[in-house]
Amino acid sequence: MPETILELSDASIFQRETLILSNVNIEIQKGEFVYLIGKTGTGKSSFMKTLYGDLPLQSGYGQIVGIELQNLKEKQIPFLRRKLGVVFQDFKLLNDRNVKENLIFVLKATGWKDKSRMDKKIDEVLDKVGMKTKSFKFPYQLSGGEQQRVAIARALLNDPELILADEPTGNLDPQTSVEVMQVLQEINANGNTILMATHDYALLLKYPSKTLKCDGQRLFEVVQKQQH
Amino acid sequence: MASSFEKYQKRRLITSYFSVVISIALVLFLVGLLALLVLNTKKVADHFKEQIALTIYLKDTAKEVEIDQLQKSLALSEYTKSIEFVSKEQAAKAYSQEIGEDFMEFLGYNPLQNSIDVYFNADYVSETKIAEISRDLGEKEFVDEIIYDKPLIALLNDNIKRLSFWILAVSGLLTFIAVLLINSSIRLSVYAKRFTIKTMQMVGATKRFIRRPFILKSVKLGIIGSSISLVGMAVVLYYLDKSFPELKLISDEVLLAAIFAGVLILGILISWLSTFFATQRFLNLKTDELYY
Repeated sequence: MPETILELSDASIFQRETLILSNVNIEIQKGEFVYLIGKTGTGKSSFMKTLYGDLPLQSGYGQIVGIELQNLKEKQIPFLRRKLGVVFQDFKLLNDRNVKENLIFVLKATGWKDKSRMDKKIDEVLDKVGMKTKSFKFPYQLSGGEQQRVAIARALLNDPELILADEPTGNLDPQTSVEVMQVLQEINANGNTILMATHDYALLLKYPSKTLKCDGQRLFEVVQKQQH
Repeated sequence: MASSFEKYQKRRLITSYFSVVISIALVLFLVGLLALLVLNTKKVADHFKEQIALTIYLKDTAKEVEIDQLQKSLALSEYTKSIEFVSKEQAAKAYSQEIGEDFMEFLGYNPLQNSIDVYFNADYVSETKIAEISRDLGEKEFVDEIIYDKPLIALLNDNIKRLSFWILAVSGLLTFIAVLLINSSIRLSVYAKRFTIKTMQMVGATKRFIRRPFILKSVKLGIIGSSISLVGMAVVLYYLDKSFPELKLISDEVLLAAIFAGVLILGILISWLSTFFATQRFLNLKTDELYY
């Protein structure tokens, strides 16, 4: 029986007082790779933000990795985020420290103590994204694609049940986008669930998968034509 | 190439910490000097208060034993700083010298009386307390008259009260300004890192975990800043004491230690609290609100 990682029913997404999406009913099962598409301003980011607790879920029911969203307490938010891996369009690495220290910060912040285990984990996730040799570099010394790989590695640190990627290829050229996408595909193949917001239709065509669309305050599943 | 860039980054960081340290140091230096001033006002005021004398004129019929006893009991009582017995001969001599001629020559006798001058401890120099003391002394049979400058005491106490009020008001204001200045420079340095703080929250760090390094850093800067101000105060004290040794600025070691410790604690406390509130402010904001 598939395990439901994310479930929203009758949910409304607000940005402050403005209604962005209403009557949202979706379910994501463990191991799925789901796209979230839509024009800019249709609520993709607000939807993502609601999922990782940066916006409150003001009405309806929502459950993500076993935590209920509708009465999420301020204190629970860090612990929700530890179960998720979030990848942003603008990478959001800590620019005052190098790659390894970026990852160490996350591990320490989420309660890791044993130094050798931390080192092992960091090697493991950097290896997954092909950045093992660059752990001593500062974020500003890396290209956009490399920074995004590090950000993905950071999202993998706590073996998240769900990876939320908010336009991870939005700032990258098509070539690099495909590389980052390949990394995400590999991670998905290893059994991680991924929800990825994007407006890069080329990627959708290249890697078809279940797709949700935001349009006119609605969020619905798109049935894709089979390309092959 | 990279290393020169890193050096540049580090230097920029150091300059921003530098301004925090300097503002803490300068402000605490002023507060410390003011504290010294406040505590020395009391010393100076006490010095003046202890100059005030009460004179007990004794009847010529008073027996020597009685005078002796009175002197002894005065010397033992807690309100007395010092006493001085002036015999009528001494008084006549002093008076003759003052007016420039020997008045006893044309008078033929000495009209002056034996007297005792009493100098009080500063705490007892108030109108009511001295009135009480003089009433008690006046009850003795061999005492003829008790004289002291009542209006002078009132005037002195009034002025001291007014002066210490203003000094306290000014130092209160200055402490307030100090807190405000240090607070704003620390807030600025935290503000510069607001996006870093937000990112840290995004990866699941708790507020307390994010706050801790900021607070440690600020407390460190606070300690450095207040140490600099303490060195400055020590230098000023040294030269003031050299120029005005009569003020006895460094005679009271406990008091000085208290002031120095107070300045240090103030520096740590202010930087700790302002960092706490500054980081808390940004921790409680939603991501979008950072841009407003």
